[in-house]
Amino acid sequence: MERLNNAFTLFLSLMVEAFPFLLLGVLFSSLLLVFVDERRLVAILPKNPVLGAIMGSLIGCVFPVCECGNVPVARRLIMQGAPSSVAVGFLLAAPTINPIVFASTKTAFRDQPEIVFLRFGISLMIAILVGLVFSVQKDLRPILQPSLARMLPRSRMEQAGVSPLLQSGTFILGSVGQPLRMDTTEFQGAILAANTVGKSAADRWNLLLENMIQELRELGSVLVLGSAIAALIQVFAPREVILSLGQGPVTSILAMMTLAAVVSICSTVDAFFALSFASTFTTGSLLSFLVFGPMIDLKGIGLMLSIFQTRAVVYLFGLAGLLTFLSTLFLNLYVS
Amino acid sequence: MSASSSRRRRAGWATALPWLDLVALALWGGLFLKYWVTGKLFILIHPNYMALTIAAGIVFLVICGVKALTLLQQTQKSDRGGLPHLTVFPPGWGTAILIVAAIAGLLIEPRAFASQTAIQRGLTDSTLTTRTKPQAFRSSTRPEERSIVDWVRTLNVYPEPDAYTGQKVKVQGFAVHPPQEQMPEQYLLISRFVITCCAADVYPVGLPVKLKGQRSAFPADQWFEVEGQMITETLGGKRQLVIHATSLKPIQAPKNPYEY
Repeated sequence: MERLNNAFTLFLSLMVEAFPFLLLGVLFSSLLLVFVDERRLVAILPKNPVLGAIMGSLIGCVFPVCECGNVPVARRLIMQGAPSSVAVGFLLAAPTINPIVFASTKTAFRDQPEIVFLRFGISLMIAILVGLVFSVQKDLRPILQPSLARMLPRSRMEQAGVSPLLQSGTFILGSVGQPLRMDTTEFQGAILAANTVGKSAADRWNLLLENMIQELRELGSVLVLGSAIAALIQVFAPREVILSLGQGPVTSILAMMTLAAVVSICSTVDAFFALSFASTFTTGSLLSFLVFGPMIDLKGIGLMLSIFQTRAVVYLFGLAGLLTFLSTLFLNLYVS
Repeated sequence: MSASSSRRRRAGWATALPWLDLVALALWGGLFLKYWVTGKLFILIHPNYMALTIAAGIVFLVICGVKALTLLQQTQKSDRGGLPHLTVFPPGWGTAILIVAAIAGLLIEPRAFASQTAIQRGLTDSTLTTRTKPQAFRSSTRPEERSIVDWVRTLNVYPEPDAYTGQKVKVQGFAVHPPQEQMPEQYLLISRFVITCCAADVYPVGLPVKLKGQRSAFPADQWFEVEGQMITETLGGKRQLVIHATSLKPIQAPKNPYEY
């Protein structure tokens, strides 16, 4: 009984500490959705793959979205004609490389500033590398979902007159209001595009409020479940098991990466989740959680599969996962 | 069950859901503010971050208020329908999870951790260390003014126990009874938790206390003010600093049980 109460106290403490950061993340992502015109941003993006990958990875600094918001944004970026290196870099890095995540990680690991900087360094490196790898694939069609790829020529013709931006560069994915695979993301993008053009300020504020409440509900409930899992593991898992798992340089990383994929906790608050393992797990494994978690999560895979073919998604996450594993293993073996 | 009645039911559900979302947010906002007012936030997080929690609670309530007003206006007009969005759970589930968790938070009081957690978090199986590196070595502090954390930090900097022998001690903390094989019956640990962010990362620090009699007279988890002198003893095969207690006075658990 006392253990149950401890777990509940732990759960509440995680919620009380993390919810404000989630609120901040939701506020920014909603502001971005309603008030920022991505087309202007795409217009100033560099075409060079290296610069593009770096740029794409850093866009998160001005577009603070967590992994729950980055797929829709990445998709809208691609629609507006952003090069693949930019899109992939953004997809992998934006949930981590942004001011809110920096603040929450710094709050959580106040005593270990190296974790904060390593988290950002490794995430940036992986995003840029994978972005570069994908920039080699100039024609994205073979790795897209067949239905989406089949639609491309038509949508290109349809859109040729619509936006001058879409006439140059890589715009293979471009498809506003694409009729096949009408998933919610696409729908949201289309509705918002329609909504934000020429709408009154009152309507925009309404939209902002509506979007904030929806994201708070979705992400808040994931936060509740994630915090509950973290609290239960911390209180009920036998200390010997955790210690033997958490102290091995390889097993600790594998365990934390699996946990990162299973617990789809938002990147603005995942540092607090990792914190509950800080005393028993290796530094490298904590970093693997903090780096890999924002890049991958189960609902993210579902979303990605609506754009890319399975093969491409496997490459994307496989590469990101391997790079995370190797870099954090290096830390475990040679640094800490 | 006719098709029209099930459609009506679904329509009723659809109008109720936005309101339930607001109920969920309002409950969480209320919960945060309740913890602030009752001082329970001290048990949950480091004081540096309390302002964030309080602000979030207020923002939740403001969002609810504004949204409730617009919802009231909207029902008089037409049903505009919600913004299509990405969802992890079937409709209603996210809201239900948030509401249930918030109600549980309102009903069940959070409690400060006690000796069981201290042992589970390695109070007894590691050498005494604090994670924060001492910023300055203040030997000028009068020994009897040091708290448990101050003592442990001082020991981190200069670990030789003999250097402190004979110094006066007056510390407050809760009693922990470590297993027999680590510490004989005549000893207990006087302990505090140190918090850096939230309860998820609190870690225990403690000093062994040598009692005049058996420790069973001083129940675990009870808070004591211990007065005595520092001596050096070998416990569990390790030379360490031990408080030779002259008095152990039971005290009320403080409102803010952590040290920083």
